[in-house]
Amino acid sequence: MTTCTPSTTLAATIESGSGVNVFKCYQCKRCSSGCPVAPYADMHPATIMRAVQLGQSDMIFEDKFLWLCTGCETCTTRCPQGIDVEAVIDELKSIALRDGRVPEDAPFANLVRLNVNSIKRWGRLFEMELLMRDKLTRPSSMFDDVGMGLKMLRKGKLGLLPARGADKAAVERMAKAAEAITSARALGTKETG
Amino acid sequence: MKTMAYYPGCSLHSTAKEMDASFRATSDALGLRLLEIPNWVCCGNSSVHSSNRLLAAALPVNELAKVEQLMKLESVAVPCAACFSRLSAGNHEMQNPEMADDILAVVGHPYEGSVKVRNLVDVYHDEIGLTELKEQIVRPFEGLKVACYYGCLLSRPPKVTLAEDPEYPTHMDDVVEALGCEAVQWNYKTDCCGANLALCEQDMVIELTRRILRDARDCGAEAVVVACPLCQVNLDTRQDGVAKKYGDWQHLPIIYLSQMVGRAIGVPDAQLGLNKHMVDVMAVMG
Repeated sequence: MTTCTPSTTLAATIESGSGVNVFKCYQCKRCSSGCPVAPYADMHPATIMRAVQLGQSDMIFEDKFLWLCTGCETCTTRCPQGIDVEAVIDELKSIALRDGRVPEDAPFANLVRLNVNSIKRWGRLFEMELLMRDKLTRPSSMFDDVGMGLKMLRKGKLGLLPARGADKAAVERMAKAAEAITSARALGTKETG
Repeated sequence: MKTMAYYPGCSLHSTAKEMDASFRATSDALGLRLLEIPNWVCCGNSSVHSSNRLLAAALPVNELAKVEQLMKLESVAVPCAACFSRLSAGNHEMQNPEMADDILAVVGHPYEGSVKVRNLVDVYHDEIGLTELKEQIVRPFEGLKVACYYGCLLSRPPKVTLAEDPEYPTHMDDVVEALGCEAVQWNYKTDCCGANLALCEQDMVIELTRRILRDARDCGAEAVVVACPLCQVNLDTRQDGVAKKYGDWQHLPIIYLSQMVGRAIGVPDAQLGLNKHMVDVMAVMG
């Protein structure tokens, strides 16, 4: 009997980044049954896994699902095959951000970028800056939650200044080192894959 | 006196100040010494692990290394569930030899993986312990019915959090019962509140909040107890949105476990930040 080892470039890229072999998925859909945001997008964890197996990246990157995923880890926890589904989704998000493959109706992607930048800039997340920059870069959000923001300011729950005391230099150094290693690895996969 | 390293995380210095204040006050009163990690930086939260896996592991490992190598302590208290998840993930990634090499190359100093990461529930349940906690109680809750809401990251995924029962955890229930509350049995203990999607997908988060709180109330809860700043903010701030959309909504107070413990062991209200909430908590905490 001959055996067949399925492979697609997308699946290989995901495996090199996350360590997950997506071909272990047999589509039982337990991940999607427990997914709190599955009703709000066209794709859901099980169809994401299938699309990665088949190398259908457009189907994944054109849908909003990646940018509704809250990272709740229910999919990973319930998978009977022990697949870290969340790690696959995280890897897809990283690729989408890196290659500019984010759909238009995905405001959360903007927040992820701003969040990472804020951590690099201050060593800690500066929430007030994040909220303001989000409003400036995404004008449709300008009037969202303004009343609540004011209430939180009054209660002293939002600082007007960034935190002091964080080892910013360490974050800068680690971010550079991690990005260098990650892009060297990504290049390696492209050459061999 | 027991000593633990303390990693507050960004939220405990802003939207969750009352969690920081009540955690410090209860630790003091219960004889647990907390030493803040010097110059700690953000754990990377979900934004970094959805953009660079290696940096997402290096940021928390850098903090754990300080606890092990610099502070020479065995464990770190991490009250924020999201930070707890990231620091635990740091330890988990270090078990993969290939990842460990890359992580340590990025961090730039050694870490042997010895530090135990403890969340808010663990601290009261295991580090202090229920027997010790019960001995300190001076103002017990007399049968107040509460729903303990664990959300996602205290228990999932179990390979990272080491939770015994990720689908129906009970340690927070044990703690509130030690305080004199009745912990109700309910269905949405570990469902997701929407986390930081609340900043841009308000409608979705209103639906998730409504589903969770409606079940808590249907199961008899008079308040919801939480151990995560994101859960607290979402459930606390989104109830006005639920009321506006659906009308006929009875607000439920959303209280940190550390505030509950503080009240029961006699920490003065002023140190518990009870005035920081959107939905008034004094009806059940007064």
